Amino acid sequence: MSFLKFIIKNPFRRKNSAIMSIIGIAIGIIVIVALGGITDGLINTFEDTIHAGGADFSIAGKETGNSAFGTNTIDSSWTDKIKTVPGVDEAYPIYVVLTSIGDDYMKTLIGVNSNGTGLADISVKEGRIFKDNANEVIIGNIYAEDNDYKIGDTIKIDGENFEVVGISETGDQSMASGVFTSLSKVQDLMDNEDSISNIYVKVKKGEDAKKVADRIDKKYGDDIQTITSVMEMGQMAKMLNMLQASTWAISLLAIIIGGLGIINTMLMSVFERTREIGVLKAVGWSNTKILTMIIGESLVITIVSAIIGSIIGYYACVILAPYMKITPLFTPKIFIQAFVIAIIVGIIGGLYPAIKAVKLPPTEALRYE
Amino acid sequence: MNEVIIMNAVEIKDLYKSYEKGKIKALNGINLTIKEGEFVSIIGPSGSGKSTLLNMLGALDIPDSGKINVAGKDLKSDKKLNKFRSEQIGFIFQLHNLIPNITVRENIEIPMYTQKLSSSKMKERALKLLEDVGLYDKADILPSKLSGGERQRVAIARALANNPSIILADEPTGSLDSKTSNKILKLLIDLHKDKKVTLIIVTHDMNVAKLANRFIEVLDGEIINPNSDKSLINNQINI
Ligand SMILES: Nc1ncnc2c1ncn2[C@@H]1O[C@H](COP(=O)(O)OP(=O)(O)OP(=O)(O)O)[C@@H](O)[C@H]1O
Ligand SMILES: [Mg+2]
Repeated sequence: MSFLKFIIKNPFRRKNSAIMSIIGIAIGIIVIVALGGITDGLINTFEDTIHAGGADFSIAGKETGNSAFGTNTIDSSWTDKIKTVPGVDEAYPIYVVLTSIGDDYMKTLIGVNSNGTGLADISVKEGRIFKDNANEVIIGNIYAEDNDYKIGDTIKIDGENFEVVGISETGDQSMASGVFTSLSKVQDLMDNEDSISNIYVKVKKGEDAKKVADRIDKKYGDDIQTITSVMEMGQMAKMLNMLQASTWAISLLAIIIGGLGIINTMLMSVFERTREIGVLKAVGWSNTKILTMIIGESLVITIVSAIIGSIIGYYACVILAPYMKITPLFTPKIFIQAFVIAIIVGIIGGLYPAIKAVKLPPTEALRYE
Repeated sequence: MNEVIIMNAVEIKDLYKSYEKGKIKALNGINLTIKEGEFVSIIGPSGSGKSTLLNMLGALDIPDSGKINVAGKDLKSDKKLNKFRSEQIGFIFQLHNLIPNITVRENIEIPMYTQKLSSSKMKERALKLLEDVGLYDKADILPSKLSGGERQRVAIARALANNPSIILADEPTGSLDSKTSNKILKLLIDLHKDKKVTLIIVTHDMNVAKLANRFIEVLDGEIINPNSDKSLINNQINI
């Protein structure tokens, strides 16, 4: 029998005690894996959203209130004014309207500059970009799938026939089900030559989006307003950071409790095996070997816990995710983290009992009843 | 042809050991020499210091003062006592002290972990030792399935695992009935002769003590028959 096999066998001598410690630490690992997957999933979704359109925030007419896609319009000349505000890298106009599209009585039609950086993120997967002022649209892949539209198909928009010239693909949900055409075409449809609904603003690298938005509000606040929804994303980022921090706090707590549990289990084990440890010393085992054995046994418990905890944590998340409307994200990092933590807990938890075992004078250990 | 020089397995001079900050004087000036290959018994009443003396011989404890040399090693200056124990000493205790969750064979392999042996080599050696103590067919069962005498046989096999030069047995038959006890003693004596190991047995049973080439009587941490060195007693008892 190898030394390793001996170490693996030992923790299961007292099955109940081993199982209790495994449950304790596995719970900690489940928390780490599940919360990790959820937080990473949220961050991932959030990052997709915030980068959609490439804008840091948007601008709308004063009365549009909180609606990003409000019906009130602003003059297209605002775009150039916004561009002159310090800190602004790019400002591009869009025109979002609610109109009848295909079978939908009310759906958003988004008008963007065909040449502009506009909604550059709507990468065209198939086909091409629409021509200016033409009855052409690009549709998101989800919208295309849902309605069985292909390139060359015709969609009735606001009573006019439009040709599908491109299908875009993006990870973002709202984009993937969107319908896009040229800004000028929307202006034409609305009989609103020089109007736009929003301006999307991208700030210069290193600039704080919030500060730039404040600058705009201060200067033009009487006529336009910066749309906070993008800003709210900033707040969401803060929330996510807090969630991440609390994940760590909960994990840490779980680790401390699990760690104390393992110290207790291993101390009991050393105590119960006092005579045996005396015998191991009598047959010539070195202190290093005894130390290795006890810490090894502790590691066996925590690694088994890590395996069980990772599996349960993963599946719990996968099963519960649809009910929570969350897409968890599991990267190897989460599992590596769980195992590293388990190993640290195993070493720290086993260290004190192991030192106790080593310090035990062999004669006293052998006299122990 | 060269003359065979018999070395001393044990040389002890003025050995003292006390516990509880000097309150308990376990060893009170022990002087003792044991030759290689000898069979010596240590006898005395409970608390007289027999186990303490044996533990000193096996380097499980360090004396307060005096000289102790076992198997050519000065135990007071040796820093690697565990290596010494592993290479030179085989311990047998009153209670078998076998590890319950591993098989009989695996128990015998435990001392071999200090050596660099392959698993198959360990197994081979353990089975050979089990054969020596007549338990070859019990190799793969747990110690709990064995009788008291059988367990002590396993403990003997374990003591021999690393081919020690000295076997130290502390009341090896103390918890066995007399019939089993005799069998175990016979086995020990046979192995001691076969393998030419020095055998030192602690007992408080005079019948056991008398089996040895000579016996040493200990009382209050002192040897009270100091001349036992010269007066080799005759072994008359049949076992
Ligand atoms: N580790 C120790 N700590 C404190 N006192 C000890 C220790 N070891 C032995 N003693 C004391 O030293 C004395 C000698 O003990 P020892 O175990 O050597 O006696 P013994 O002759 O083996 O007795 P027994 O026949 O009962 O086994 C006793 O009084 C014992 O209580
Ligand atoms: Mg004793």
